[in-house]
Amino acid sequence: MTPAYYLFLSAILFTIGVLGFLLRRNAIVVFMCVELMLNSVNLSLVTFARMNGTLDGQIMAFFVMVVAAAEVVVGLAIIVSIFRTRRSASVDDANLLKY
Amino acid sequence: MTPTDIPAPSIAYGPLWPMIAVFLAAAIGVLVEAFVPARRRRPVHLVVALAGLTGGLVAVALVARNHHHPTLIAERAVAVDGPTLFIQGTLLLLGIAAVLLLGERSLDSTGGTFVAAAAVVPGSRGERQLTASSTMQTEVFPLAMFALGGMLLFPASNNLLLMFVALEILSLPLYLLAGLARRRRLLSQEAAVKYFLLGAFSSAFFLYGIAMLYGYAGSVDLGAIFTATGTVGSNDTLLYLGIALLSVGLLFKIGAAPFQNWTPDVYQGSPTPVTALMASGTKVAAFGALLRVFYVAFGPVRWDWRPLMWGVAILTMGVGAVLAITQTDVKRMLAYSSIAHAGFILTGVVALNRSGLSGSLFYLLAYGFSTLGAFAIVTLVRDADGEATHLSQWRGLGRRSPALAGIFALFLLAFAGIPLTSGFTSKFAVFSAAISSGATGLVVVGLIASAVAAFFYVRVIVLMFFEAPAPDGPTIAVPSVLTYGAIALAFAVTVVLGVIPGPLFTLADKAALFVR
Amino acid sequence: MSTVTTATATATATVLAASPQTSVSEAVVFWIVAPVAIAAALAMVFSRHAVHAALLLVVDFFCLAVLYAAQDAPFLAAVQVIVYTGAIMILFLFVLMLVGVDSSDSLVETLRGQRVAAAALALGFVVLLIGAIGSATLQMPSQGLAAANAEGNVIGIARLLFTRYVFAFEATSALLITAALGAMVLAHKEQVVPRVSQREMSRRRFAGAHPTPYPSPGVFARHDAVDTPALLPDGTAAEPRPPVLEGSSNQAGRAGDPAGPGATGSGS
Repeated sequence: MTPAYYLFLSAILFTIGVLGFLLRRNAIVVFMCVELMLNSVNLSLVTFARMNGTLDGQIMAFFVMVVAAAEVVVGLAIIVSIFRTRRSASVDDANLLKY
Repeated sequence: MTPTDIPAPSIAYGPLWPMIAVFLAAAIGVLVEAFVPARRRRPVHLVVALAGLTGGLVAVALVARNHHHPTLIAERAVAVDGPTLFIQGTLLLLGIAAVLLLGERSLDSTGGTFVAAAAVVPGSRGERQLTASSTMQTEVFPLAMFALGGMLLFPASNNLLLMFVALEILSLPLYLLAGLARRRRLLSQEAAVKYFLLGAFSSAFFLYGIAMLYGYAGSVDLGAIFTATGTVGSNDTLLYLGIALLSVGLLFKIGAAPFQNWTPDVYQGSPTPVTALMASGTKVAAFGALLRVFYVAFGPVRWDWRPLMWGVAILTMGVGAVLAITQTDVKRMLAYSSIAHAGFILTGVVALNRSGLSGSLFYLLAYGFSTLGAFAIVTLVRDADGEATHLSQWRGLGRRSPALAGIFALFLLAFAGIPLTSGFTSKFAVFSAAISSGATGLVVVGLIASAVAAFFYVRVIVLMFFEAPAPDGPTIAVPSVLTYGAIALAFAVTVVLGVIPGPLFTLADKAALFVR
Repeated sequence: MSTVTTATATATATVLAASPQTSVSEAVVFWIVAPVAIAAALAMVFSRHAVHAALLLVVDFFCLAVLYAAQDAPFLAAVQVIVYTGAIMILFLFVLMLVGVDSSDSLVETLRGQRVAAAALALGFVVLLIGAIGSATLQMPSQGLAAANAEGNVIGIARLLFTRYVFAFEATSALLITAALGAMVLAHKEQVVPRVSQREMSRRRFAGAHPTPYPSPGVFARHDAVDTPALLPDGTAAEPRPPVLEGSSNQAGRAGDPAGPGATGSGS
């Protein structure tokens, strides 16, 4: 086995996140899929850090976690606010904006 | 070796002052929110924000005067060079106009375009009481300042990690601001959710691109990536993946096709002053970052990414121009127009030469002000339900309010690229740069798209001036000096850059050199 | 943990210097954890229940933490567990509980062919990614982090964080303030009218027209909530109606429509 396998795992997890983003309708679950995508990127960063022999990748993964924490706070606040209005977190119900 | 002997980093805070001033104003805004009584907050916020932006502008001027040689500061993280300073100056001017719009409250009889209390559920009895009151959510000022700070940092970042952080700093406040409209709150909240989910999705792609480029070059420094692209290696596929994924994130932010889907919905749902900030500021900042990444890091592999960008530019111009025709809502129409303009500016990016860069910089400034002015006028045309954005309600506006409709017509003509407006000069600049780099086909498509779009703009002008107004049409609100100031600024820039573009051209040309 | 992995890495680095091969123990860990991670991720995407999805995501995050530890990133492994599973996922669960845990997602397709298209797109995307990454990295020599982690992983990270990336570190503060401010804006309600004391409430009640309790919803009611009017045998609401609750968003649905508020969510 070579470290490239970690990158394959990361690519698979990223794609599963994309798939979930496209398929799911509950805004919170959709957001969880984005979190999965960010985490799979972190795995790539950590693996590349090891392959390159520098710690920059680990630093970046650390920053991603910090940014994700802030993003989760904002995102969940927005989702809760729309939920309180509509009593539904399904993105299908969000349909006032049409072409 | 003990951990204590980490050498102190050299940051050279001097050239960072444009950003520091804005972030400082944002932080003071948070303190104002905590300590100033609710009645007096709005004017205090206005003063703080405008002082921060003006301070930033002064700082940009001082840095431009004192630093003739472009440098990399803060451990090579921030690039202080011509494009950075030009874009930061543009953003600060746009920010001043946008803050003036945010502070406007004499339009609505109930005051302001922002919600009285975002936490109160729309449609409840508590909300009706609050809407009748004159309160507003004054946190919009610090949020807008944080967004502006992120915008200043985004095109100045010289490493991709800082660029990612800046992208989030500019995005998170905008997600929040999008949901704070006073009228049509459901629409506004939906716009916020949509913008947030798609924005987070695209930033994940951006980040994956960064990871690939890090794997390729072993560093996220743009200069290091440039050096690595000069060598031939076996892992070039990582570079191509990185470029593609990174572009997804950036193209999303500028609203280029095929990532433009969010633009009309978010522009329509957001409070109009926020839309003005997004349509001008975000676009300028994201294009600044796009230009930096492609000019600084990906120059040597231009033959690999240019066909892709050609395609994106053609698609963007086409989608924007054609779909704008079918729109019946002014804000959506302006959104599609902004998509088309993203395509026009992309032709400057594709040119990848000095005149392409200076043309893009010029275009960004000119377009930023025209679009901000157009959205400012949208805030003034109102009926009992708030803004009257349906195009049929704009029929005959020129007879009711010739001055206002005339200024709006001028902005539309600038979008269409009619001579003697800033739109003509800027289009001329990017198209001639594209021709000089051999992208004649792209320019032909651009000209066709301009003609299609011009048809639509002219149709709106005809609607405003040559048709009879509807009897129950909207009224033109009389704004305070704030909105007048923003419109006057946008109007002046649009006219001046159309009539005497020379000085700014010289400035943009002098600025058009990236540091690596 | 960190000493073990560092030791493994050092051994790997000395035995297989610049070779792409990893140690056997690491391969064993990988082949145990990676299938679990993929299974959990897939299950998350296809689980009907949002809470199950959140818990499966926690499993995924734990798997990633193990893989970080296996790759000489003990600090990140710890942060992953503390920040992601400990803080972020708890926040997710908290919100899920807040917005109604029973709102299971309908898996009915609303856009025809969307699922097939999405699956095809995802399959193409993953094949492209793996092909491209594989061609570039399968033979790429792995430097290993033995040199970079010589003083310990945390110190190595601190060195970079406070020198090369110090400005990004400082800029993050803006992000954190924004997040706090945003949560305040969307959740905090300022008290505009003074809160009514219990004494005041009972005084108003007895001064008003209706001091006795309101009629209970009764046998014809579809709901037993306190703000539901009692129904008379002919289906009309009994007078006097109960006071409508302040801040209830679907009061209209409850008072007028006995079918209940659940049907009003479609928003069309």
